[in-house]
Amino acid sequence: MAALGSRSSSVLSCQNVSVRFGAFQAVNNVSIDLAAGQTLALIGPNGAGKTTFINAVSGRVSLAAGRIRLGDADITNVPVHRRAAAGLGRSFQIINIFDQMTVLENLRLAAQSRAFGWQPCWRPVSAWPALERRAREVAAMVGLEAELDLPVTMLSHGKQRAVELGLALIPDPKVLLLDEPLAGIGHSEIEPTMELLQQVRKGRSVLLVEHNMDVVDRIADEIVVMVGGEVLLRDRPSAIWNSAEVRRLYLGSEVAGHA
Amino acid sequence: MRQVKHSEVLTVGVLVLLFAAAPFVTGDEGWLYLAALIMTWSIFALGYDISFGLTGLLSFGHAAFFGMGAYAASWAMLSAGLPFSVGIVAAIGAGGLSALVFGFVGRRVSGLYFSLMTLMLAELISIVMTTRLRHLSGGVDGLPGVPRPQAFGIDFFNAANFYWVIFALFCLTLAFCAVLKSSPLGQALRGVRQNAVRSEQVGFNVGALRLTALTLSGCLSGLAGALLASLMMYVSPQLLGWKMSGDVVIMTLLGGSGTPVGPVIGVTLVELLREGLSATTEHWYGLLGVIFILCTIYLPEGVAGLGRKLWRR
Ligand SMILES: Nc1ncnc2c1ncn2[C@@H]1O[C@H](COP(=O)(O)OP(=O)(O)OP(=O)(O)O)[C@@H](O)[C@H]1O
Ligand SMILES: [Mg+2]
Repeated sequence: MAALGSRSSSVLSCQNVSVRFGAFQAVNNVSIDLAAGQTLALIGPNGAGKTTFINAVSGRVSLAAGRIRLGDADITNVPVHRRAAAGLGRSFQIINIFDQMTVLENLRLAAQSRAFGWQPCWRPVSAWPALERRAREVAAMVGLEAELDLPVTMLSHGKQRAVELGLALIPDPKVLLLDEPLAGIGHSEIEPTMELLQQVRKGRSVLLVEHNMDVVDRIADEIVVMVGGEVLLRDRPSAIWNSAEVRRLYLGSEVAGHA
Repeated sequence: MRQVKHSEVLTVGVLVLLFAAAPFVTGDEGWLYLAALIMTWSIFALGYDISFGLTGLLSFGHAAFFGMGAYAASWAMLSAGLPFSVGIVAAIGAGGLSALVFGFVGRRVSGLYFSLMTLMLAELISIVMTTRLRHLSGGVDGLPGVPRPQAFGIDFFNAANFYWVIFALFCLTLAFCAVLKSSPLGQALRGVRQNAVRSEQVGFNVGALRLTALTLSGCLSGLAGALLASLMMYVSPQLLGWKMSGDVVIMTLLGGSGTPVGPVIGVTLVELLREGLSATTEHWYGLLGVIFILCTIYLPEGVAGLGRKLWRR
């Protein structure tokens, strides 16, 4: 059986994943696996296919080829919501939250999906206090205690990022896919958000797409460099920064822009 | 937030009181009939708003659920001789089942394509019922003599007595919609309307939630259809036509979708307008159109939205 052959230490394993949009190959034969407890950064220039790869893993786009395994289960053809229920959390590059709700309502709604198989309709949601308890717990974790009753549209960009992350953290997922969790965040908020990421990655496996090389350097155990839909190389951060190939193909132009 | 909730409870209370007081204020059969008609259509509009206001599914085919409910009740009572209560259950079932079928057929489409698909499916049912199933539907002439309840020795053919049956179901519908909205299911549906991508990502089966909403919406539409058939003591394929679907959309939007009172206000306005103007001019529907257009421009949240703004001030 295939299961016997797979590496038991990897929680997420993507083999030869390809994604096509019409004739355009956005992701080409990418194999990446994520070990338990590991934080793996995925970097690469704009249009490299990082978001598309995250979309493939979370189930938003279908694969032209390849297989994806989460733990022992093959999730290649499993729909988004079932992957999420199986312990795959994600945040989006462009803030993607329930925009006509308060912070509390956002987080409580996320807590609901796992609490019931079939969402009940005969009592107000307040009849299940555990939902709100979980929402408050996560709000405290991401620094939103003071904003619980505010509509999310009234929050700063950084705080909205925190809601985005909170939604992903509600079910306490084993695997977390973070697509540029610092995108659009103000300078003063970078440091606290980084601390938060440090805390969040403890005890779980994280695939982190990030353009801020400072952050990548401090958080990532390993780095995968993607260019033109393909994996260029994978190594420890120090080795990546010293690679002539990376400097030439990617960092030469990018790092200057982000310094 | 809390203030809005307060105003909602208050307006719903006032509405219920108004309808409860009507039979004591006037014994006039015409007025009672009108009030009963408004409550019946309100059930339809409240049901419609589960699909549109709560879940964000713009359907142009709700007449099918409404009409199938009306026919299911009529068949149950006329052909099978079953009691009114069974007829009502049959109507709720038929409305829900038709909606389930629509939702299943349209499970892969969304937005405008979903709207057009519901419109076409409903027209298909309407045409089949008027032509191929003439022997069942009564064709364009419809079926006369749809009965009203017979129980406890009360004469429900008396307008005032039947009024209370409709009033009770109207109150139940209002209560159901209010509880649904604040329930976990209601919150999940609200989430689907606001952001389906995020809903999926936090683990909701968006397709199943949409189907559930449409089915519940269909159940209430079917109930309203049965009540209308009993109220008019007549059922015809007209109830299945696109004009019915259009009316319920207009009423809901005019009154204000997404609120418990909005649909009721919309229904009341349209019915009063029909009552007041249809005798004097044939073009009342055109006038309604003008009012509707003005409303979409100046009152995008409907009349109830205007009320909410004034309340907050
Ligand atoms: N739905 C789509 N249809 C067609 N092309 C797409 C689609 N989504 C992405 N692409 C293309 O695929 C390529 C990879 O896009 P992707 O968003 O994955 O890049 P990225 O590495 O995340 O870039 P960035 O750093 O700017 O976020 C781009 O050329 C993009 O234009
Ligand atoms: Mg991207």
